[in-house]
Amino acid sequence: MIKTFSRILLIFILAFLTACDHKPVAYHEQLLVFGTVVDVKLWDVEETLGRQAVTRLADDFDYMHNAWHAWHPGPLGRVNQLLASGESFTLPPSILPLIQRSSELSQRSNGLFNPAIGKLTALWGFASDDPPKGPPPSTEAIRAILDQQPGMEDIRLNGLTMQTTNPALKLDFGAFAKGYAVDRAIDVLRELGIDNAVVNAGGDLRAIGRHGDRPWRVGIRHPREAGILASVEVEGDESIFTSGDYERYFDWQGTRYDHIIDPRSGYPAQGLSSVTVFARQADLADAAATALFVAGPDEKDWLPIARAMGVSGVMLVNDDGRVQLTPGIRERIYFIPPAENEQTNLEIRISAAL
Amino acid sequence: MNGVKLSRGDAVVWLLTATLLMSLYMMFWQADGHGAEAVVLVNGKRWARLDLFQNQDLDVPGPLGHSHIQVRDGQVRFVNSPCPNQLCVHTGWLSQGGEVAICLPNRVSLQILGSDPRFDAINF
Amino acid sequence: MTRTLQTTRDDYLIAGFAALAITIHIAESALPSPLPGIKPGLANVVTLVVLCRYGWRMAAWVSLLRVLVGSILIGTFLSPTFFLSAAGALASVAMLGLLFALSRALPGWAVGPMGYGVAAALAHMSGQFWVAYAVFVPHSGLLTLYPLLMTLATVLGIVSGLLTHTILARLNSAPSNGNPV
Repeated sequence: MIKTFSRILLIFILAFLTACDHKPVAYHEQLLVFGTVVDVKLWDVEETLGRQAVTRLADDFDYMHNAWHAWHPGPLGRVNQLLASGESFTLPPSILPLIQRSSELSQRSNGLFNPAIGKLTALWGFASDDPPKGPPPSTEAIRAILDQQPGMEDIRLNGLTMQTTNPALKLDFGAFAKGYAVDRAIDVLRELGIDNAVVNAGGDLRAIGRHGDRPWRVGIRHPREAGILASVEVEGDESIFTSGDYERYFDWQGTRYDHIIDPRSGYPAQGLSSVTVFARQADLADAAATALFVAGPDEKDWLPIARAMGVSGVMLVNDDGRVQLTPGIRERIYFIPPAENEQTNLEIRISAAL
Repeated sequence: MNGVKLSRGDAVVWLLTATLLMSLYMMFWQADGHGAEAVVLVNGKRWARLDLFQNQDLDVPGPLGHSHIQVRDGQVRFVNSPCPNQLCVHTGWLSQGGEVAICLPNRVSLQILGSDPRFDAINF
Repeated sequence: MTRTLQTTRDDYLIAGFAALAITIHIAESALPSPLPGIKPGLANVVTLVVLCRYGWRMAAWVSLLRVLVGSILIGTFLSPTFFLSAAGALASVAMLGLLFALSRALPGWAVGPMGYGVAAALAHMSGQFWVAYAVFVPHSGLLTLYPLLMTLATVLGIVSGLLTHTILARLNSAPSNGNPV
């Protein structure tokens, strides 16, 4: 009896040792689309299906990039020209869902996420293929746009007929289109029967399912140094978006001007170096990351916005390096020590619950 | 230490140990390595796979012209590229797994292969 | 009212061997180590000798007593170090129990000091490593170290097997006062 048992045990041990051969593999491809690198990782997918899916995503991303580009000629460019005329016109259907969804998110953010301030973004030099250089625009020029308070509520939409009475309104979906595109990519993958995937558009990502027997592992970049600040595991369906002052900026006479413009002041938002938002939908996470960056480092300011927008978690890095976290995220995140044998001297504060 | 004899049982244990060690190295060291390989993509298609410990210089043709890529002692970088902003050149040397340099205008990208097993994606 | 505690000869043997193991354990912990948590594991030799001469039950006592009393004496009781060595000791005692039972069931395939030494060292290292990984530093970068640590454990296991073999040979040539298994 014992003899048989021990033989069976031996066989089990041997079987376990040899079982590691047939691992399902990740299908991984990089796309140079949407003005960035889009990294698509699929788990346990046949290569033919993986290839088919990625080709389809590449086409979709190209289409969306052209349709929604804020300063290249294309459908959105045309819409902006027509908006400036003040007349009513027929909206290209590809733009409609973007306007509807971003209006809703803009309202929920109390106007801190505001895609109608394209004129301000352009005035600061961030709506250009060239890196922004400065100098910062004059107070008068900023005032001129700010006084007319362009916002999504100035848009009159009736079916596909659109009009605005605000001549300062210009659409720029920079803080939103990427998230929206990632959501559409996930829809496409699900349609193709792919349930385990990460779509990472230049760092802003949505993950569904798992990486086989473990969750997906995501590293969050350090806003000030090279390398990774923290890691977090993601499974099921979740998006993680980070907005940082290091993405696009210029330095002018000792001051850093970043690309996230506060629609209330007309100047780049101050006080934070990065905002990471966790939410189910990528477009919500994208818009919320911008809105919270604008809201600033004070919990009294950002927490109500985070609540109103319905995000599931927030991590803020103040520009002095202090970290603020919502309680749910504290339990999930692991801060990576800067080097071996070195204490992490991160100052971490847990905010009130969302 | 004379007369050390391995019994049959000992031999089985040692055999299992050897198998275990081999599979451990395979499981934990296989995919990650030390960032020993990089891949060059042109227009999203694989153009070359580089051994980072074989020093070489490559001219990668893109739509704007040739991007010059250099491999030296486990590192790789863009030396020059026909793009206006030179972001790819300013990225500098890459050596860690998962690191990327891209010349978007010339559609050339450079990435160190999957050697960072810690992360499936980097949020930046 | 006094109560007499029944002590058996086994109890004295366990106490004696545990004392020896604890002495070695403390001596080892005073040695400088190139890597934290890496020790030659000479105290395990005592466990192995006891296992080969007196059986698993007594070896388990010696090993667990060593960890418990040793940590109290060094002052690491209930500290992370203690949990790590307890995990290692439990894992290696369990592994030895398995091999011991198998050896009894299949006498033709009985394991000797060389097999016990390696298996105990591997189990000890695994126990420590996974507790360290799961509880103290859940960083997957640590996993890269695991195969290296296991290789090191194999080498140390062979050394402790050889020592055990030598000690057993000497003990067997001297008059025995125990019951060889």
